[in-house]
Amino acid sequence: MKLERLSRLCELPGISGFEEKVASFIESQIEGKVDKSWKDSVGNLIALKKGNGKSQKRLMLLAHTDEVGLMTKKVNEDGTLSFTNIGGVDPRVLMGKKVLVGDDLIPGVIGFEAIHTQERATLLTTPKMDKLRIYLGYSKREEAQNNHRLGDPVFFSTKYEEVGDFAIAKAFDDRTGCEVLLRVLDDLQSFSLDYDVYFAWVVQEEVGLRGSGIAATQIKPDAALVFENTTAGDNPELPEYRWATSLGKGPVLTFAHNGLVLDKKIFETIVDTARTNSIEFQYKSRIAGGTDAARLARTMSGIPAGVISTPSRYIHSPVSIINTNDFLGVAKLASLLVKEGKVLSR
Amino acid sequence: MKELIKKLVEISSPSGREDAIREVITQEIKDHVDEIKVDPLGSLIALKKGKSGKKLLFDAHMDEIGVVVTHVDDKGFLRIDMIGGVSPYRLLGARIIFETGAHGVVGVEGETMKQAGEIMKSLDFDHIYVDVGATSREEAEKLSPVGTFGTYDAGFIDLGSRLVSKAMDDRIACAILVQTIKELETPKDDVYFVFAVQEEVGLVGASVAAFDIMPDMAIAVDVTAGPDTPKSFKRMGFKLGGGPTIKIKDQASVSSSKVVSRLKEVADSRSIPTQYEVLIFGGTDARGYQTTGRGIPVGTVSVPTRYVHSPNEMVDYKDVLDSVRLLKALAEEGI
Repeated sequence: MKLERLSRLCELPGISGFEEKVASFIESQIEGKVDKSWKDSVGNLIALKKGNGKSQKRLMLLAHTDEVGLMTKKVNEDGTLSFTNIGGVDPRVLMGKKVLVGDDLIPGVIGFEAIHTQERATLLTTPKMDKLRIYLGYSKREEAQNNHRLGDPVFFSTKYEEVGDFAIAKAFDDRTGCEVLLRVLDDLQSFSLDYDVYFAWVVQEEVGLRGSGIAATQIKPDAALVFENTTAGDNPELPEYRWATSLGKGPVLTFAHNGLVLDKKIFETIVDTARTNSIEFQYKSRIAGGTDAARLARTMSGIPAGVISTPSRYIHSPVSIINTNDFLGVAKLASLLVKEGKVLSR
Repeated sequence: MKELIKKLVEISSPSGREDAIREVITQEIKDHVDEIKVDPLGSLIALKKGKSGKKLLFDAHMDEIGVVVTHVDDKGFLRIDMIGGVSPYRLLGARIIFETGAHGVVGVEGETMKQAGEIMKSLDFDHIYVDVGATSREEAEKLSPVGTFGTYDAGFIDLGSRLVSKAMDDRIACAILVQTIKELETPKDDVYFVFAVQEEVGLVGASVAAFDIMPDMAIAVDVTAGPDTPKSFKRMGFKLGGGPTIKIKDQASVSSSKVVSRLKEVADSRSIPTQYEVLIFGGTDARGYQTTGRGIPVGTVSVPTRYVHSPNEMVDYKDVLDSVRLLKALAEEGI
């Protein structure tokens, strides 16, 4: 396996608001490598790698620890659980999937009506989230209630696999970003930086960019780089001009997304750095979707940011696919940007 | 003031690409203010000092709606996405000017009459393209590569009492602030003038511009609808030529009642015509200030404008002059 730590990150359960296991794992990985680290009131993990003092500026590197998933909202008479989505989940990707329920990760399946019994008129139509149930092997409400309560988190359970240059897992969004930060930190162990760099693994991006602003308020950075996982659109049924990004074409650079046009100078610095170092890259060609950069711009007196992403096919599903070379390109570009420090020169 | 308006509206500077308009405004005001700076996101903030110890803030956003190139095909046609609220219908027949200087026109897909009809019925950005006159991908990529920003290419027309141009939203307010800066000699309070970035994509600049200032009152100056045209929104009653509007509410903010009454009081004391405005859609930078820090009392003064977000936004010149009078009056009388 090429990306061992990424595989462990992806397999950790961590839907928005239930991210402690992800943060704890990352904490174990940064031990002894940073000058200071702390968990804040909302669960963000923040770490400082001090510079040599030549510059008083601060750079913030950010990735979100949460992933999309489900939450139980009702225990039914028959012992099944009804649920709602946490973050953007298409009900079509849920039918027939294995899930893990609650802190004890009790396995269950999301059931659906057999093709044999479906009415012809509604055959294969998209089910409403309300109609889907999680089956855990209980036969009545009382049995289920012994082990489950409303508000239990429900996680996808896909195991990480690598096939050639591709990897399949849940939660690439945004464990690829989490791993990029860890790799940058590793790279800095034998490097003297002129400025302080803060690493922020932030919570609850998927439900409304909630952790990042709080982290930034504690750091007060001059600029930030957000490492994300983003939509690939290179599905054969879509014309090429509608592909947001493609797998295998390198790190994705964003000039604008929902709620923000990214800082022009930082954007151009990222493009120049990729070009100078012959890192193949691509632009995100759809404006839809946002990142924590939109929150940072609205925090304190405004924090300019750049966004660099690993593209992922079938994002927000239990079977997302990345090209591992794209991910490695993001990690390489990230290290170069941090070492060169040009994103801070304004 | 028409020269100033023409100068500001004809600059092409969409959200996130405000360098050009910021430079022009800086040149206009730098000799008339006590302090001037650019904040971390690119908003231009100027100060004219008063003596009361209180702080008043006027805001106009510098950006305008626009488009960005997202794809270039083998034949040299471009695909675009919107920067701010651009209707694809408004783009049909419009010209686009890109930051590279390239010009483009907009076309629509449709392989059969039936399909063309269906596409026109629910037009979206996936079914329109921009033609920059290129005959190959290489040529198009030189003229306007992916990531190039553009705006409507539609200049200023003086119709006498009415003025027409692209980007009246919100350069007309930029012009009002610039004119106020030039005419204002003795402000009572410290008056901050913010020319904010990225309003059109979500009130970005205004959400943070006042963080270090924390004024006692913030007034956004923006355009509002001009619902006095045939069969226009009947639930709104203000009109072009009736004076600047004092906003009561829109979808993004409810103005502080103290700000509303102070504006009305000052306007009446100097016989400046005003109208009250309840807008049933939209929002202004006031929202950004209202939720800054521990909160700032806000209001909005609007210039009624027809055909907002089209290449041909129309305002009434007298409303513009009265807006300058209103801002000046508030700055002189104090909050």
